[in-house]
Amino acid sequence: MTDPADLPLDDEDQAILDRLAGVDTLLDPPPADLDERVSFAIALDSLDAEVARHTEQITVGSGARSSERTQTITFDADSRAVMITIVDQADGLLRVDGWLAPAAAMRVELRLPEPAPSWTVTADSAGRFAFDGVPHGIAQLLVHPPEDDISPRVVTPAFTL
Amino acid sequence: MAAVTLSSGEAGTGQARGDRTARMGACLERARNGETAALSEVVRELNPLLWHVARGEGLTAEESADVVQTSWLELLRRLHDIRSPLALTSWLVTATRREAWRARERSRRQAPGGGEQLEAIPDPDPGPGELLLSDERDQTLWRHFQRLPERCRVLLRMVAHVARPDYSAVAEALGMPIGSIGPTRGRCLAKLRAMLLADPGWSR
Repeated sequence: MTDPADLPLDDEDQAILDRLAGVDTLLDPPPADLDERVSFAIALDSLDAEVARHTEQITVGSGARSSERTQTITFDADSRAVMITIVDQADGLLRVDGWLAPAAAMRVELRLPEPAPSWTVTADSAGRFAFDGVPHGIAQLLVHPPEDDISPRVVTPAFTL
Repeated sequence: MAAVTLSSGEAGTGQARGDRTARMGACLERARNGETAALSEVVRELNPLLWHVARGEGLTAEESADVVQTSWLELLRRLHDIRSPLALTSWLVTATRREAWRARERSRRQAPGGGEQLEAIPDPDPGPGELLLSDERDQTLWRHFQRLPERCRVLLRMVAHVARPDYSAVAEALGMPIGSIGPTRGRCLAKLRAMLLADPGWSR
Protein backbone atom coordinates (compact mmCIF):
# COMPACT_ATOMS: atom_id res chain seq x y z
CA MET A 1 0.00 0.00 0.00
CA THR A 2 1.28 3.48 -0.82
CA ASP A 3 2.19 5.67 2.12
CA PRO A 4 -0.19 8.66 2.03
CA ALA A 5 2.83 10.88 2.66
CA ASP A 6 4.24 9.92 -0.76
CA LEU A 7 1.14 10.87 -2.74
CA PRO A 8 1.23 14.04 -4.80
CA LEU A 9 -0.40 17.14 -3.37
CA ASP A 10 -4.04 17.38 -4.37
CA ASP A 11 -6.65 20.11 -4.04
CA GLU A 12 -7.62 19.04 -0.53
CA ASP A 13 -3.98 19.47 0.54
CA GLN A 14 -3.87 22.86 -1.11
CA ALA A 15 -7.11 23.85 0.64
CA ILE A 16 -5.61 22.85 4.01
CA LEU A 17 -2.42 24.81 3.33
CA ASP A 18 -4.31 27.87 2.09
CA ARG A 19 -6.50 27.90 5.15
CA LEU A 20 -3.49 27.40 7.41
CA ALA A 21 -1.84 30.41 5.77
CA GLY A 22 -4.98 32.43 6.49
CA VAL A 23 -5.17 31.33 10.13
CA ASP A 24 -1.47 31.90 10.66
CA THR A 25 -1.74 35.42 9.28
CA LEU A 26 -4.70 36.10 11.57
CA LEU A 27 -2.83 34.88 14.65
CA ASP A 28 0.68 36.13 13.87
CA PRO A 29 0.30 38.98 11.41
CA PRO A 30 3.32 40.82 10.04
CA PRO A 31 3.36 44.53 11.00
CA ALA A 32 0.67 46.29 8.99
CA ASP A 33 3.22 48.58 7.33
CA LEU A 34 5.82 45.92 6.46
CA ASP A 35 5.11 45.95 2.71
CA GLU A 36 5.12 49.73 2.68
CA ARG A 37 8.36 49.93 4.66
CA VAL A 38 10.11 47.47 2.34
CA SER A 39 8.81 49.12 -0.83
CA PHE A 40 9.97 52.52 0.40
CA ALA A 41 13.39 51.22 1.48
CA ILE A 42 14.21 49.57 -1.85
CA ALA A 43 12.97 52.37 -4.12
CA LEU A 44 16.52 53.71 -4.50
CA ASP A 45 18.15 55.40 -7.50
CA SER A 46 21.22 53.23 -7.41
CA LEU A 47 21.37 49.55 -6.58
CA ASP A 48 24.91 49.42 -5.33
CA ALA A 49 25.15 50.17 -1.62
CA GLU A 50 26.37 48.42 1.46
CA VAL A 51 23.45 47.50 3.73
CA ALA A 52 23.69 48.57 7.37
CA ARG A 53 21.95 46.33 9.92
CA HIS A 54 19.73 47.78 12.57
CA THR A 55 21.65 46.50 15.59
CA GLU A 56 20.51 48.45 18.60
CA GLN A 57 17.69 50.66 19.75
CA ILE A 58 17.44 52.39 23.11
CA THR A 59 14.58 54.60 24.22
CA VAL A 60 15.05 56.80 27.25
CA GLY A 61 12.10 58.47 28.94
CA SER A 62 8.44 57.91 28.22
CA GLY A 63 5.84 60.14 26.70
CA ALA A 64 4.71 62.08 29.78
CA ARG A 65 6.58 65.16 28.63
CA SER A 66 7.45 64.65 25.01
CA SER A 67 10.66 66.67 25.29
CA GLU A 68 12.02 64.00 27.61
CA ARG A 69 11.93 61.17 25.12
CA THR A 70 15.17 60.29 23.41
CA GLN A 71 15.70 57.39 21.09
CA THR A 72 19.07 56.08 19.96
CA ILE A 73 19.40 53.76 16.98
CA THR A 74 22.57 52.09 15.74
CA PHE A 75 23.07 50.77 12.22
CA ASP A 76 26.14 48.70 11.43
CA ALA A 77 27.59 48.19 7.96
CA ASP A 78 30.88 46.44 7.19
CA SER A 79 32.64 49.70 6.38
CA ARG A 80 30.96 52.11 8.78
CA ALA A 81 28.48 52.48 11.62
CA VAL A 82 25.77 55.13 11.69
CA MET A 83 24.30 56.12 15.03
CA ILE A 84 21.42 58.52 15.47
CA THR A 85 19.69 60.09 18.42
CA ILE A 86 16.14 61.29 17.91
CA VAL A 87 14.76 63.95 20.23
CA ASP A 88 11.21 65.31 20.26
CA GLN A 89 11.07 69.06 19.81
CA ALA A 90 8.49 71.33 21.43
CA ASP A 91 6.95 72.09 18.01
CA GLY A 92 6.05 68.45 17.40
CA LEU A 93 8.89 67.91 14.94
CA LEU A 94 12.09 66.00 15.65
CA ARG A 95 15.77 66.67 15.83
CA VAL A 96 18.03 63.90 14.56
CA ASP A 97 21.66 64.04 15.70
CA GLY A 98 24.00 61.50 14.26
CA TRP A 99 27.56 60.44 13.85
CA LEU A 100 29.54 58.23 11.56
CA ALA A 101 32.17 55.82 12.81
CA PRO A 102 34.83 55.81 11.59
CA ALA A 103 34.41 59.58 11.32
CA ALA A 104 34.35 61.05 7.83
CA ALA A 105 33.08 64.31 6.33
CA MET A 106 30.61 62.56 4.04
CA ARG A 107 27.23 63.60 2.72
CA VAL A 108 24.39 62.09 4.73
CA GLU A 109 20.98 61.88 3.10
CA LEU A 110 17.73 61.52 5.02
CA ARG A 111 15.21 59.99 2.62
CA LEU A 112 11.53 60.58 3.35
CA PRO A 113 8.52 59.15 1.50
CA GLU A 114 7.38 61.13 -1.50
CA PRO A 115 6.37 63.87 -2.02
CA ALA A 116 8.79 65.06 0.71
CA PRO A 117 12.19 65.78 -0.84
CA SER A 118 15.34 64.07 0.42
CA TRP A 119 17.37 66.10 2.84
CA THR A 120 21.16 66.13 2.65
CA VAL A 121 23.72 67.47 5.11
CA THR A 122 27.47 67.02 5.31
CA ALA A 123 29.02 65.47 8.39
CA ASP A 124 31.88 67.40 10.02
CA SER A 125 35.37 65.97 10.29
CA ALA A 126 34.39 64.27 13.57
CA GLY A 127 31.61 62.49 11.67
CA ARG A 128 28.79 64.46 13.31
CA PHE A 129 25.68 65.56 11.47
CA ALA A 130 22.22 66.83 12.37
CA PHE A 131 18.77 67.27 10.87
CA ASP A 132 16.55 69.83 12.53
CA GLY A 133 12.74 69.89 12.22
CA VAL A 134 12.16 66.42 10.81
CA PRO A 135 8.53 65.22 10.60
CA HIS A 136 7.40 62.01 12.28
CA GLY A 137 7.05 59.04 9.98
CA ILE A 138 9.14 56.60 8.00
CA ALA A 139 12.69 57.53 6.98
CA GLN A 140 15.97 56.06 5.71
CA LEU A 141 19.59 57.21 5.81
CA LEU A 142 22.17 57.02 3.06
CA VAL A 143 25.84 57.88 3.46
CA HIS A 144 27.54 59.04 0.26
CA PRO A 145 31.34 59.04 0.08
CA PRO A 146 32.95 61.83 -1.98
CA GLU A 147 33.76 60.94 -5.58
CA ASP A 148 37.49 60.53 -4.94
CA ASP A 149 36.82 58.16 -2.04
CA ILE A 150 36.55 54.45 -2.76
CA SER A 151 34.41 53.70 0.34
CA PRO A 152 31.05 52.17 -0.53
CA ARG A 153 27.78 54.02 -0.21
CA VAL A 154 25.92 52.86 2.90
CA VAL A 155 22.17 52.49 3.15
CA THR A 156 20.11 51.78 6.30
CA PRO A 157 16.78 50.00 6.49
CA ALA A 158 13.75 52.24 6.75
CA PHE A 159 12.89 53.16 10.33
CA THR A 160 10.09 55.03 12.03
CA LEU A 161 10.79 58.46 13.44
CA MET B 1 -19.77 28.75 1.85
CA ALA B 2 -16.46 26.98 2.22
CA ALA B 3 -17.32 24.72 -0.73
CA VAL B 4 -17.93 27.72 -2.97
CA THR B 5 -14.62 29.34 -2.09
CA LEU B 6 -12.81 26.08 -2.70
CA SER B 7 -14.22 25.35 -6.13
CA SER B 8 -13.69 28.88 -7.45
CA GLY B 9 -10.11 28.61 -6.21
CA GLU B 10 -9.56 25.36 -8.08
CA ALA B 11 -10.89 26.69 -11.36
CA GLY B 12 -8.39 29.53 -11.47
CA THR B 13 -5.31 27.79 -10.15
CA GLY B 14 -3.53 26.62 -13.32
CA GLN B 15 -4.07 29.85 -15.16
CA ALA B 16 -3.18 31.97 -12.13
CA ARG B 17 0.06 30.05 -11.66
CA GLY B 18 1.32 30.80 -15.16
CA ASP B 19 0.23 34.42 -14.88
CA ARG B 20 1.95 34.81 -11.57
CA THR B 21 5.32 33.60 -12.82
CA ALA B 22 5.07 35.80 -15.91
CA ARG B 23 4.01 38.80 -13.84
CA MET B 24 6.81 38.37 -11.33
CA GLY B 25 9.31 37.88 -14.14
CA ALA B 26 8.22 41.16 -15.72
CA CYS B 27 8.57 43.03 -12.40
CA LEU B 28 12.04 41.60 -11.95
CA GLU B 29 13.06 42.68 -15.43
CA ARG B 30 11.85 46.25 -14.82
CA ALA B 31 13.68 46.37 -11.49
CA ARG B 32 16.91 45.25 -13.16
CA ASN B 33 16.52 48.17 -15.54
CA GLY B 34 16.52 50.55 -12.60
CA GLU B 35 12.83 50.74 -11.82
CA THR B 36 12.97 49.30 -8.31
CA ALA B 37 9.43 50.49 -7.59
CA ALA B 38 8.33 47.63 -9.86
CA LEU B 39 9.30 45.25 -7.06
CA SER B 40 6.42 46.45 -4.87
CA GLU B 41 4.15 43.78 -6.26
CA VAL B 42 6.74 41.07 -5.63
CA VAL B 43 7.24 42.45 -2.12
CA ARG B 44 3.53 42.02 -1.37
CA GLU B 45 3.61 38.52 -2.79
CA LEU B 46 6.69 37.22 -0.96
CA ASN B 47 6.62 39.11 2.35
CA PRO B 48 4.24 36.71 4.14
CA LEU B 49 6.61 33.82 3.41
CA LEU B 50 9.75 35.75 4.37
CA TRP B 51 8.08 37.00 7.54
CA HIS B 52 7.31 33.44 8.62
CA VAL B 53 10.78 32.26 7.72
CA ALA B 54 12.17 34.87 10.13
CA ARG B 55 9.55 34.09 12.80
CA GLY B 56 10.31 30.38 12.35
CA GLU B 57 13.92 31.13 13.35
CA GLY B 58 12.64 32.36 16.72
CA LEU B 59 12.88 36.13 16.21
CA THR B 60 10.48 38.65 17.72
CA ALA B 61 8.03 40.49 15.46
CA GLU B 62 10.16 43.64 15.36
CA GLU B 63 13.36 41.70 14.64
CA SER B 64 11.60 39.72 11.93
CA ALA B 65 10.39 42.89 10.23
CA ASP B 66 13.96 44.23 10.22
CA VAL B 67 15.39 41.01 8.87
CA VAL B 68 12.87 40.90 6.02
CA GLN B 69 13.69 44.47 5.12
CA THR B 70 17.45 43.92 5.24
CA SER B 71 17.12 40.90 2.95
CA TRP B 72 15.28 42.96 0.33
CA LEU B 73 17.94 45.67 0.54
CA GLU B 74 20.69 43.06 0.08
CA LEU B 75 18.79 41.78 -2.94
CA LEU B 76 19.30 45.07 -4.77
CA ARG B 77 23.03 44.46 -5.12
CA ARG B 78 22.44 40.96 -6.46
CA LEU B 79 19.57 41.80 -8.76
CA HIS B 80 21.66 41.45 -11.90
CA ASP B 81 22.57 37.85 -11.07
CA ILE B 82 19.00 36.73 -10.49
CA ARG B 83 17.39 35.61 -13.70
CA SER B 84 14.01 34.10 -12.76
CA PRO B 85 11.19 34.57 -10.26
CA LEU B 86 12.02 31.11 -8.90
CA ALA B 87 15.62 32.08 -8.28
CA LEU B 88 14.39 35.28 -6.67
CA THR B 89 12.20 33.44 -4.17
CA SER B 90 14.91 31.00 -3.26
CA TRP B 91 17.55 33.74 -2.97
CA LEU B 92 15.33 35.77 -0.64
CA VAL B 93 14.44 32.78 1.55
CA THR B 94 18.13 31.93 1.93
CA ALA B 95 19.02 35.55 2.68
CA THR B 96 16.23 35.88 5.24
CA ARG B 97 17.40 32.78 7.08
CA ARG B 98 20.97 33.99 7.11
CA GLU B 99 19.92 37.43 8.34
CA ALA B 100 17.74 35.83 11.01
CA TRP B 101 20.69 33.80 12.33
CA ARG B 102 22.82 36.91 12.47
CA ALA B 103 20.08 38.84 14.29
CA ARG B 104 19.64 36.01 16.76
CA GLU B 105 23.36 35.86 17.46
CA ARG B 106 23.39 39.62 17.98
CA SER B 107 20.54 39.69 20.46
CA ARG B 108 22.06 36.74 22.32
CA ARG B 109 25.32 38.64 22.69
CA GLN B 110 23.57 41.84 23.76
CA ALA B 111 21.19 40.24 26.25
CA PRO B 112 22.41 40.54 29.83
CA GLY B 113 22.99 37.17 31.46
CA GLY B 114 23.49 35.26 28.22
CA GLY B 115 20.07 35.65 26.70
CA GLU B 116 17.57 33.96 28.98
CA GLN B 117 15.16 36.82 28.41
CA LEU B 118 14.93 36.02 24.72
CA GLU B 119 12.25 34.39 22.64
CA ALA B 120 9.14 34.53 24.70
CA ILE B 121 6.71 34.55 21.81
CA PRO B 122 7.49 32.43 18.75
CA ASP B 123 4.37 30.30 18.88
CA PRO B 124 0.93 31.68 19.65
CA ASP B 125 -0.61 29.86 22.57
CA PRO B 126 -3.13 27.24 21.40
CA GLY B 127 -5.84 28.44 23.81
CA PRO B 128 -6.03 32.16 23.02
CA GLY B 129 -5.24 31.35 19.38
CA GLU B 130 -8.39 29.36 19.01
CA LEU B 131 -10.45 32.03 20.76
CA LEU B 132 -9.35 34.58 18.19
CA LEU B 133 -10.73 32.48 15.38
CA SER B 134 -14.41 32.93 14.68
CA ASP B 135 -14.71 30.49 11.78
CA GLU B 136 -15.47 26.93 12.81
CA ARG B 137 -13.27 25.31 10.17
CA ASP B 138 -10.40 27.60 11.16
CA GLN B 139 -10.85 26.51 14.77
CA THR B 140 -10.88 22.84 13.80
CA LEU B 141 -7.77 23.24 11.68
CA TRP B 142 -5.90 25.13 14.40
CA ARG B 143 -6.85 22.62 17.08
CA HIS B 144 -5.46 19.68 15.09
CA PHE B 145 -2.49 21.69 13.92
CA GLN B 146 -1.48 22.26 17.57
CA ARG B 147 -1.34 18.50 18.07
CA LEU B 148 1.46 18.11 15.52
CA PRO B 149 5.06 17.90 16.68
CA GLU B 150 6.79 21.29 16.77
CA ARG B 151 9.02 20.46 13.81
CA CYS B 152 5.92 19.83 11.70
CA ARG B 153 4.26 23.04 12.84
CA VAL B 154 7.27 25.14 11.88
CA LEU B 155 7.53 23.38 8.54
CA LEU B 156 3.85 23.62 7.61
CA ARG B 157 3.51 27.25 8.65
CA MET B 158 6.23 28.13 6.20
CA VAL B 159 5.00 25.80 3.46
CA ALA B 160 1.54 27.33 3.76
CA HIS B 161 2.92 30.68 2.62
CA VAL B 162 4.79 29.32 -0.39
CA ALA B 163 3.15 29.60 -3.79
CA ARG B 164 2.93 26.15 -5.34
CA PRO B 165 5.37 26.65 -8.24
CA ASP B 166 8.02 27.71 -5.72
CA TYR B 167 7.86 24.58 -3.52
CA SER B 168 11.02 22.86 -4.66
CA ALA B 169 13.08 26.06 -4.76
CA VAL B 170 11.98 26.99 -1.25
CA ALA B 171 12.55 23.47 0.07
CA GLU B 172 16.09 23.61 -1.20
CA ALA B 173 16.68 27.09 0.25
CA LEU B 174 15.38 25.93 3.62
CA GLY B 175 17.54 22.82 3.55
CA MET B 176 14.49 20.59 3.86
CA PRO B 177 14.69 16.92 2.93
CA ILE B 178 13.02 16.09 -0.36
CA GLY B 179 9.45 14.99 0.26
CA SER B 180 8.86 17.31 3.20
CA ILE B 181 7.47 19.98 0.92
CA GLY B 182 5.77 19.40 -2.50
CA PRO B 183 5.38 17.79 -4.94
CA THR B 184 4.42 15.04 -2.49
CA ARG B 185 2.43 15.62 0.62
CA GLY B 186 5.06 14.64 3.12
CA ARG B 187 4.54 13.25 6.61
CA CYS B 188 3.51 16.40 8.41
CA LEU B 189 0.78 17.32 5.97
CA ALA B 190 -0.37 13.69 5.65
CA LYS B 191 -0.80 13.57 9.40
CA LEU B 192 -2.72 16.84 9.59
CA ARG B 193 -4.88 15.84 6.65
CA ALA B 194 -5.78 12.49 8.24
CA MET B 195 -6.82 14.19 11.49
CA LEU B 196 -8.88 16.78 9.66
CA LEU B 197 -10.67 14.32 7.39
CA ALA B 198 -11.66 12.29 10.47
CA ASP B 199 -13.16 15.39 12.11
CA PRO B 200 -16.75 16.26 11.17
CA GLY B 201 -15.97 19.89 12.03
CA TRP B 202 -13.65 19.95 8.99
CA SER B 203 -15.12 17.61 6.40
CA ARG B 204 -18.84 18.33 6.89
